[in-house]
Amino acid sequence: MTRPATHSGLFYDGPGQYAAEAGGFLREGLERGHRALVMAPLRRVDELRAALGRDADEVTFVEDTIAYAPQWNAYRVLLDFAGSAPGIRSCVVAEQSLAGRAPAELVDYRRLEAAINVVFAEADVDLLCPYDAGSLPAHLLEIGEHTHDAVRADGVRTPNARFDDPLDVLAGLSEVVPPPSGATSIDCSSPVDVASARRLVRSRGAEAGLAPDVVADVALAVTEVLTNALLHGAPPALLHVYQAGATWVCHVHDKGDGPMDPLIGLVPPAEPSDHGYGLWLARQLCAAVDVGTDRSGTHVRLHTRTSTSALAS
Amino acid sequence: MSQGSYNSLSTLGSLEPGTHLCAFHQDEGQLTRVAATFIGQGLAAGDQLLYVTTDEQADAVLRALPAHVHGYDALVAGQLMVSSFADAYGTRKPDDLDTVADGFRAAAEHSRKSGFPGLRVAAQMDGLAPLLGSAEEVIRWERMCTGLQREIGVTSVCLYDVAQLEEEHAALLAREHAGFAPELAETPLASFLAVDEPWGLRIFGEVDISNRDLLHRTLLSRAAVQPQLHVDVAGLTFADVGTLFRLRAVADALPEHGWLSLGRVPAAVRRVMDIAGLDHERLRVES
Repeated sequence: MTRPATHSGLFYDGPGQYAAEAGGFLREGLERGHRALVMAPLRRVDELRAALGRDADEVTFVEDTIAYAPQWNAYRVLLDFAGSAPGIRSCVVAEQSLAGRAPAELVDYRRLEAAINVVFAEADVDLLCPYDAGSLPAHLLEIGEHTHDAVRADGVRTPNARFDDPLDVLAGLSEVVPPPSGATSIDCSSPVDVASARRLVRSRGAEAGLAPDVVADVALAVTEVLTNALLHGAPPALLHVYQAGATWVCHVHDKGDGPMDPLIGLVPPAEPSDHGYGLWLARQLCAAVDVGTDRSGTHVRLHTRTSTSALAS
Repeated sequence: MSQGSYNSLSTLGSLEPGTHLCAFHQDEGQLTRVAATFIGQGLAAGDQLLYVTTDEQADAVLRALPAHVHGYDALVAGQLMVSSFADAYGTRKPDDLDTVADGFRAAAEHSRKSGFPGLRVAAQMDGLAPLLGSAEEVIRWERMCTGLQREIGVTSVCLYDVAQLEEEHAALLAREHAGFAPELAETPLASFLAVDEPWGLRIFGEVDISNRDLLHRTLLSRAAVQPQLHVDVAGLTFADVGTLFRLRAVADALPEHGWLSLGRVPAAVRRVMDIAGLDHERLRVES
């Protein structure tokens, strides 16, 4: 029988404590014959390598600028790593630099941390998510405090009383945000309109100064989400395009009930399929994805960062 | 029987197979525009096209075809065929319409066997009344064609020179057709062009929910003739996941010795393939 997954938070103050706790976690795993994966900012990778010495050779390191680009890619890295050696448990350290994230991305990051508890509940994996308590502001630390049912401190995993039910967290983050009055809106209720939606995304994306490959990704994401709206939603299907703070938003709205399951599209379909890729693909292509349903219908907001600030390192 | 709805047919690309259209041209220029539009849309949709006309008019249409359908290549690959009226309809009045019907059926069957999902015919009809002997016979012929074409799935446009028609006759003729073929149509989102050597297909443009089923049926028709398919996608500028899934579905349905090989895959398409991960042992990607 596979032991259920564990998902622990680590609130460290300074590189010394980080290396001791995260390094200890990995070493314990390796001693038990587990495989080890680290997704982390470069300087944390360096600190872990130094702390682990030769054991570091046993660890797969992926920098956060790759693993979390975009954030939901971390699920894919995790799935691919665990899937590459079935039957062997994995210990995984997962941390990204949160300082440069846009507000919409931070909302999505909270979803990511909450949903892991459900999506990976049966996975053969021990996850440790370090948070830099010495430098992160309270509103970012608080994400970690509410999404891990245990905390690691002094090498010991203890229950976390502040842990919130993941599905409650997800439900609380699914509020519908209507498009602003200044949005450009087009009706895309017919299959032939999906090409028009791409044309609008391309022209507005270029005007917003986005790189061509970023615009191509957004055009693909809009196509997939709009296709979902046409196949599974109810007309009219609309595309609204607008700037919202630090992100440029492509907002697909149809009159349907939308996906009832908040976990839809967090992982890819298990088998090749004619459908089921839309939201998952959007999350692999966009900076953040909001999904909300109310009496006005289903709203999917695809965010793209327009500020040039890279991930702060 | 069709009462002729005279609807504006702007979506020639996705016409119900077996639609029987007509057009009345005032001059050679208008004839060329109607024929080029009908032929261009049909070629883009992957169908085989037969143009029954004069050599001179065929040349004019070839020059007028939109660039994205590569008319001369279509001619070489047999996707576009040109025939004279005499070769297509004969020089003697047919004994009965059943003979004509058999000819139609054979042409549709030949098209399928040649790897095309459907056959469309554009025909200059001005020789029909002299051949059949009267305007009434032409009406009878057209009525027979409507039913027959629906049965065998052959779409056509009958091209009539108004100068050679009585006004009353023109109205009766129009009534025997599902509508008028347009002079102009929007450029289709993508073109699916047959290639003989190596056997397969070239795709130009964008494929999404609006036209991926059209691509699917075209690939199935090509695969039915020869299950080793070269699909040149250098001109494919966009493909959604559903399109890739259909490519995979075609590969999956091929026999053990078959394969579908994607050639010259552009970066944008590679990106979708990488993310969607719809690999299949018979879906090859040429590097």
